[in-house]
Amino acid sequence: MSDDLFRPVGPPWQRVSPALTKALRILCVLPLLLLAVVLAVLGVLLPVPSVVSWVLLGAAAATVLGAAWTWSWADRSRRAVGYAEQEDDLIVSSGVMFRRLVAVPYGRMQFVDVSADPLERWLGIATVTLHTASTETAAEIPGLPAEEATRLRNRLTELGESRGSGV
Amino acid sequence: MSDPDAAPQHTPPPAPAGPAAPAVGRRTHPLTGLLQGVLWAFAGVASLTGSLLGDGWGNVPTWVALLVAVVGGLALGEAAGFLQWYFTRYVIDTAEVRVERGILTKTSRRMPFERIQSVDIAEPLLARAFGLAELRIDMAGGDDAGTTLRFLTLEEARATRRLLLDRAHGREHDASVRHDVQGDLVAEASPAQVLLGTLVSLDFVIAVLGGVGLLVASLVAGQVVVFLGGVVAVGTWLIQIVGQRVIRQWGFTLHRTPDGLRIERGLLSRTSQTIPFARVQGVAVHEPFVWRRLGWSRLDVDVAGYAKAGGDDATATSSTLLPIADREVTARVLETLVPGAFSAEPDVQAPSRAWPVDPVAWRFRRVGSNEQGFTAREGWVERRTSVVPHHKVQSVEVRQGPLGRRLGLATVEIHTPDGPVDADGKNLDAETARSVALAELDLARTARRGA
Repeated sequence: MSDDLFRPVGPPWQRVSPALTKALRILCVLPLLLLAVVLAVLGVLLPVPSVVSWVLLGAAAATVLGAAWTWSWADRSRRAVGYAEQEDDLIVSSGVMFRRLVAVPYGRMQFVDVSADPLERWLGIATVTLHTASTETAAEIPGLPAEEATRLRNRLTELGESRGSGV
Repeated sequence: MSDPDAAPQHTPPPAPAGPAAPAVGRRTHPLTGLLQGVLWAFAGVASLTGSLLGDGWGNVPTWVALLVAVVGGLALGEAAGFLQWYFTRYVIDTAEVRVERGILTKTSRRMPFERIQSVDIAEPLLARAFGLAELRIDMAGGDDAGTTLRFLTLEEARATRRLLLDRAHGREHDASVRHDVQGDLVAEASPAQVLLGTLVSLDFVIAVLGGVGLLVASLVAGQVVVFLGGVVAVGTWLIQIVGQRVIRQWGFTLHRTPDGLRIERGLLSRTSQTIPFARVQGVAVHEPFVWRRLGWSRLDVDVAGYAKAGGDDATATSSTLLPIADREVTARVLETLVPGAFSAEPDVQAPSRAWPVDPVAWRFRRVGSNEQGFTAREGWVERRTSVVPHHKVQSVEVRQGPLGRRLGLATVEIHTPDGPVDADGKNLDAETARSVALAELDLARTARRGA
């Protein structure tokens, strides 16, 4: 039912690179695992009453569980990202728990950003952000392969120029 | 806009003079330095006084310290004011307005005519006493797009505004027409009506009830001193609320001019602001509880570039188009701004199963659209109706959280530039929300092609 709600309008969703899963995992899971290790080491080594060290170990275990959940969330989150170039609008959808679908008419785009942080660059992906005169638009497509990001940017800029209708 | 590629269709022809070109052009009124200096001098005197009296200054007697503070503050303020005035020049050529500023770091801001959103005139109290005014030029986009020219004589400010607006609209400028086109009076709000409206507005009533409650509590507790102190504090506060609104909206008039709607208001500081018809991105009608029964409403507009203006300053650019007006006047102004869009009653309702997430408000949510615009209405205590003309819709969003998924609800949002207009249909039936969004996309497309 909910997937139905966010089904694409025209052409099917174009999905993004699996490298995004990797990026999300590195960003979110790694720190959690590090935290778990620190907690566990403290729990074992600190000269504190056993209750405290059990609490620390428990926290470490919970963090590991959290990391495991985040691991699977990363992939679901990546799969939830989709975009479709329609005749007159670009449609972007994202989110697992909080799903969102934004349709941006080409003529309304003010500018298009392509950005890639060092991690994204290493994985060969980039994020394309669409800006209209409204900040609510906030349409972001993460995890695009670098060439696809450039192509999309050029295409959108071109379409924006030919259909631009001012503010 | 910082990125020159941002809106290529607006890119002006390359201007002949680069930043390196000699700064020719006109200075603002010579009194500017003095007035700006006075304002800064206050700050200077205050901070010097604070630091000298606070920490002491060795064994210097207090009166010497005070004298040094006052003289030093004045001198610093005036010097800064003079330097700033001396190094500020503005040029209006055939393609743009350019303002050159800075003593060591030169900045040059260029505003191509076709990017100018609006030109307003403000007369802050101090400047007004000398017959001076400041000119505010707004552009779309960017955080600090646009600039303020401070100060020109009122006559000069008006003439410059007329010139800029003529150029911005691509009209022939006829310098021999001496006065600003005044236009037809569309609406006015008397101070008495604004005062009355404030007195029955909800926030004021709540403030009064809260204040009285506190006072009664202190009296019951037998704290007479607290009670007396409280009376003074609450009294000043309430007078302040009323005073601010009444003084700000004093002598409010709304004229229709060829360039747009012109608002003039203010008792101590006057503001004259023009909202071009074509720049109105959306309209919001607010009808607080008591006002609704009296047939009154307030009208706010979304204008690209106004969101970041705001500010507490009495002359700050305001998005309020009518502080208070009767139904008939509101309808007339709406008809001018978004012809035909307001006539339709929104008919899509939130379903009753939305109550767990939206206990009371679901009953009052409506969205709907006709050929001209999209309308969203919400609120019981204060009813708010937002109208967005189809050809101004920026983007359309459908979203759903975990609760909404369980209840089969979704929210549809029609995006407009930041401002008071918020055309959302929250917690509608999921499929309805989707079809509303898709229908809006179609309507917006058709409207853009027609425009």
